[in-house]
Amino acid sequence: MKFTKTMCALAVVALASVSGAAQADWKPTKNIDAIVHTGPGGGNDVLARAVAQMLEKEKLIPGRMNVINKPGGNGAVAAAAIAEKKGDAHTIGFVSTVWLANALTTAEAKVTLHDLTPVAGLLVEPAVIVVRADSPFKTLKDFIDVAKAKPGTLKQSGGSVTSRDNIVRQALQAKTGGKWAFVSFPGGGERIAALLGGHVDIMVIEPQEAGEQVRAGKMRVLAQIAAKPLVAYPGIPTMKEAGFDVPLIPQIRAVMAPPEMPKDALAYYEDLFARLRKTASWKKYVEDNQFEDGYTNSADLDKWIKQIETDMRGQFQSIGIKTVR
Amino acid sequence: MDVINGLMQGFAVALTPMNLAFGFFGCLLGTIVGVLPGLGPAATIAMLLPLTFKLDPTGALIMLAGIYCGAKYGGSTTSILLNVPGESSSVVTCLDGYQMARKGRAGAALGMSAIASFIAGTFSVVALMLVAPPMAKLSLAFSAPEYFALMVLGLTMVVLLAGQSLTKALLAMLVGLWIAGMGTDLFTATSRFTFGQTEMLGGIDFVIVAIGVFAISEVMANMEPAKPLDMLPVPKGWRNLMPTWQDMKDCRYAFMNGSLIGFFVGILPGAGSTIASFLSYGIEKSYSKHPEKFGTGVIEGVAAPEGANNAETGGSMVPLLTLGIPGSGTTAILLAALVLWGFKPGPLFIEESPAMFWGLIASLYIGNVILLILNLPLVPLFAQLLRMPGYAMYPLILGVSIVGIYTSGSSFFSLGLLALFGLVGYLMRKLDFPTAPLILGLVLGDGMEKALRQSLMMSQGDLSILVRPIPLGLLLVAGFLLIVPLFKKFNSVRVKMVDPEL
Repeated sequence: MKFTKTMCALAVVALASVSGAAQADWKPTKNIDAIVHTGPGGGNDVLARAVAQMLEKEKLIPGRMNVINKPGGNGAVAAAAIAEKKGDAHTIGFVSTVWLANALTTAEAKVTLHDLTPVAGLLVEPAVIVVRADSPFKTLKDFIDVAKAKPGTLKQSGGSVTSRDNIVRQALQAKTGGKWAFVSFPGGGERIAALLGGHVDIMVIEPQEAGEQVRAGKMRVLAQIAAKPLVAYPGIPTMKEAGFDVPLIPQIRAVMAPPEMPKDALAYYEDLFARLRKTASWKKYVEDNQFEDGYTNSADLDKWIKQIETDMRGQFQSIGIKTVR
Repeated sequence: MDVINGLMQGFAVALTPMNLAFGFFGCLLGTIVGVLPGLGPAATIAMLLPLTFKLDPTGALIMLAGIYCGAKYGGSTTSILLNVPGESSSVVTCLDGYQMARKGRAGAALGMSAIASFIAGTFSVVALMLVAPPMAKLSLAFSAPEYFALMVLGLTMVVLLAGQSLTKALLAMLVGLWIAGMGTDLFTATSRFTFGQTEMLGGIDFVIVAIGVFAISEVMANMEPAKPLDMLPVPKGWRNLMPTWQDMKDCRYAFMNGSLIGFFVGILPGAGSTIASFLSYGIEKSYSKHPEKFGTGVIEGVAAPEGANNAETGGSMVPLLTLGIPGSGTTAILLAALVLWGFKPGPLFIEESPAMFWGLIASLYIGNVILLILNLPLVPLFAQLLRMPGYAMYPLILGVSIVGIYTSGSSFFSLGLLALFGLVGYLMRKLDFPTAPLILGLVLGDGMEKALRQSLMMSQGDLSILVRPIPLGLLLVAGFLLIVPLFKKFNSVRVKMVDPEL
């Protein structure tokens, strides 16, 4: 895993900077608006509402945090909405890797993460590779062997062509020379149904989503896409341990702010999320959802995003997805 | 008698005064949310979710289920009264419901919508309780080729929705299919017909188009100076506002049709209640003795789709509760809620949390009863709304539409689109194009395209994947539906030739 080292380094830097940061002088004078790119119930919306609840419960902010949904364009509409609040100290946005992928492939996404002010990294989302419980594939190598012997006969269900699911597949195909089809489904439920119904052979899924299926004996986990093995999946090899050390792109969730946010306000939010991260509620949330802690401060988030974007652009170009930036 | 025991246990849970209160509150809130266009059950549940952390999970789930059912009940109200679909699944209800209101039968339409919802809703809970496991297997058997055939079957209904000219109906449907293709393509990440607009990357929400071509164009047509702004007739007296016994008899097959289609489509993770309501409307019309009257205000045209969209609720619980697979936006949030409360929704859920499962089943029964009791007395009240003079009524329709669209996307761009589609709807009216096929193409187009491409990706481009038993059967039915009108035409010509008197 290429990003493991960076992550460790970032974590060290982050810890150092948090303990060193003085309490900022600026405080919100009204409710904070948090812009998300999905409708109510989408991934970032659920995260933002959970954060809003934790901030209130732990009394970390004087007022409240309102979640504002700006769905459309895989983050492009929300990015534009945040950029419109230039210089505002009471608006933040919850972003995810999708925003980067979308900006790379769509010319219409005029505002990108580079136009916004990085505040703090929050989470890294690990994933697991699963097959149906009665599948002949016991290890990832079994699957790859068949994909090499009979190219094109196996199928993977997943999301959009720019999603992590497909990037993992492409990386594995490039490394091993195996070939299998990628079938896109808009909804997570449909992807799982396609696997459980035996219509596809393999899928990349969030650990928490797979948990119950594995426990009920409906799915088997072949490998995990995570920096370190997940607590919930003991004994399951990471990609590297399984013998497939391919470059992977971390799925991150982070907080960004409008361009030219006042310095003292930025320092306040940076510190706010550093403090949130230390609360019991946050730790429980991360554990319950089987996320990995992805905290970084503003400066490191900026570097991190640039690194992810460069890696992603390389991946897209190598598999023939047209990039516009 | 596990079922009986379970159900008794469930009623014991659901009938505690506290849980009954949660159920009532959920149903009431759901009805309000359903009546307001733009705000749907998924959004409401997501917003209420943080509040439920502090509640007892059973009570909270009962409340959320009440919202889910209630929204389906309430969705028909504005469709019938104002031609503004309150929920995406109530779009079809506009076709006959609003025409009934124009003929002074708004009360009957509203009442029938509540009754059909009750019957089909209750049916789907019984079905959920009795046949969930085998149905779950069926829902997994459905994959891309099956969905494609189902969508094709849906599209052939354009023949049934066509007015005078089939050509015009087909043209309208093609425009619908075109709009459905706009936005970012899932398979290649290519932007299609976005005209360089960021807001267009996500495509056009079909609710905007539906409210535009139904409601806004209705307002425009009524603003023509040549027409006097007459008030709609509203009969006096509670009895005259309710559906008659004859109405109930007319709808007996519609209840059955709505229940079965709604439940069946509900169990499929890739379909949804809008498709269910369109399908049951089409089927109702195809076997009706007077198909030509559909669209002019027949009561079966309200009962079938309203029944179907309520039966979908029980159906969609099947994959959620037995497999842990959410089929719609609302069930996805219910799943998230279960996880947040510390439950483990998945294949073992029913076995490990029987109190929760049976409590939910019982609360769905009770919810349907509460909703019927809640909605019937509201019928005369809502029907009075039509006594409003035109100068108040049409601004009200405009206001409700605009606020509804703005709440759902909070963007001015959507309002621009609303105006545009209002104009499109008005022109279609003037040129005598039917608007329902446009909506049909829009609803089914996206899913149909995806299903076909998924099928071909699975089969490496081999079309024979479409001749598996289920898709083949569905495609044959679709072909039959397309051919029948030709025979009918042939028959009428033949009758004329044989009988010179005609």
